[in-house]
Amino acid sequence: MTSYTKPLPIINDDNRQYWGYCKQHELRMQQCNNCGYIRFPPGILCPRCHSMDASWVKLSGRGKIYSFVVYRVSYHPSYADDIPYTVAVIQLAEGPRMESNITGIKVEDLKVDTPVEVCFDDVTDEVSLPKFKAVS
Amino acid sequence: MESLKDKAAIVGVGYTPQGKVPGRTSLSFHLEAARNAISDAGLKIQDIDGLLIQPAMGDPSVTAALVAQYLGVRVRFLSALDAFGASAGCQAQFAAMAVAHGLANYVLCTYGENARSGVSEYGAALNGGLEYGLFGPAACYAIAARRAMHEFGTGPETWKEIAVAQRRWANLNPRASMYTRPMTYQDYYDARILVEPFRLFDICQISDSGRAFIVTTAERARGLKKRPVYIMGMGQDHPATNPQQATFLTGPTGAKLSGEQALKMAGITLKDIGACEIYDCFTYTVEVELMDYGFYGRGEGKDFLKAGRLGPGGDFPLNTSGGLLSEAYQMGFTPLTEAVVQLRGEAGDRQLGAPTRTREPEVILVSNNGGVMQTHSTLILRK
Repeated sequence: MTSYTKPLPIINDDNRQYWGYCKQHELRMQQCNNCGYIRFPPGILCPRCHSMDASWVKLSGRGKIYSFVVYRVSYHPSYADDIPYTVAVIQLAEGPRMESNITGIKVEDLKVDTPVEVCFDDVTDEVSLPKFKAVS
Repeated sequence: MESLKDKAAIVGVGYTPQGKVPGRTSLSFHLEAARNAISDAGLKIQDIDGLLIQPAMGDPSVTAALVAQYLGVRVRFLSALDAFGASAGCQAQFAAMAVAHGLANYVLCTYGENARSGVSEYGAALNGGLEYGLFGPAACYAIAARRAMHEFGTGPETWKEIAVAQRRWANLNPRASMYTRPMTYQDYYDARILVEPFRLFDICQISDSGRAFIVTTAERARGLKKRPVYIMGMGQDHPATNPQQATFLTGPTGAKLSGEQALKMAGITLKDIGACEIYDCFTYTVEVELMDYGFYGRGEGKDFLKAGRLGPGGDFPLNTSGGLLSEAYQMGFTPLTEAVVQLRGEAGDRQLGAPTRTREPEVILVSNNGGVMQTHSTLILRK
């Protein structure tokens, strides 16, 4: 898998655990132990109440498409062979939203509110990307 | 507390060559724009005692102190101010505060960047997402635009009106990158789709260029070379939230609160606004901002925005230089400087009033928007 040429996530001390769980094929985010808000992207404090006490809760991985775009031209050489491809914002069942790719559906059939479910793409030995497939 | 209404004025604007201008540093654009603004105001180099710069997005080497150094100025008020595309409007507000309180007499505000020729991945990683192939601000705004299509049924039918109207203004502006290139509705539809739902002409074109303006007190302004343009009202609102979690992609953006504050300070209503210079990094941005300022209700852009109204001869003149879409992408400096030029009566063929069969404005609303609608500033400027 050393031939993967696309940009990888920039892993830092705020998001290292998130990507570690992804490697184990678990979608986990920080839930504030004070107010219950689930935040994303990962960070040291809750943007709602500023508590620094949080737990990494496992999410169902289910959600629906909040919005999406379809790249018709390549903005990066490593994606040239993927055109057309989609980047979507997923509304997760538990509340937060995240960007990802949608698999298993033709771009022409994409719609806002299409139900999706997480699946993990092991792109390198170190990194697994949470992606989403359309479900009926 | 005393209001800042009419306490400060913009007294100089400076331009540089713009579009594709290879072989130049970002710093050089700051300097040339600054030089031209000082000359436009009829000031001497030594008069400048305040400097605010907007850092180049792709070139961190340009700092406020470096610009001061190369300009040969010794200032007593200095900072780099970065609120993305909202920076020019924010600079004007900080500068107004500084001169009103005697911290400086003449605050020079600059931006410059070799964004087109010198930077390979301009704005690529604004909010992350590269690991999913989310490259460039256009896609981030296209996500917002798609959501607006879903929520209130807007789309290319509305956006084409903005693109075509602004192109008609650009065709009257020799400085505009699209000066010699007219655009029809068919041209808009025929343009290639870059990132759905945006076509080429929904997206502004980044530019190698710089721009600057100078703020001083209303009192000092009256003794200078050019007719002063007074800052009547101002406001900022920065929703800041990462666009993934944002609730404002379909409004209300920062235009709403910053606009309400600015109008309240100015003591006027939307009816008094003679023209709008609205930050237009993408066509949809204009639709949502004008909606949030209150010119029309939620989702009513498709009825309000007609190119005949927005262009020369129309009753709602919009982005009269051609804007970011058709003049040049100079961040918030493009709408701000155009408002100044119009209120001075120096806009030539595109001058609001008799030359373009439009109402001659006493007051212009200037909006600046940045990030993915994460920052916003509003200015109300008057003659």
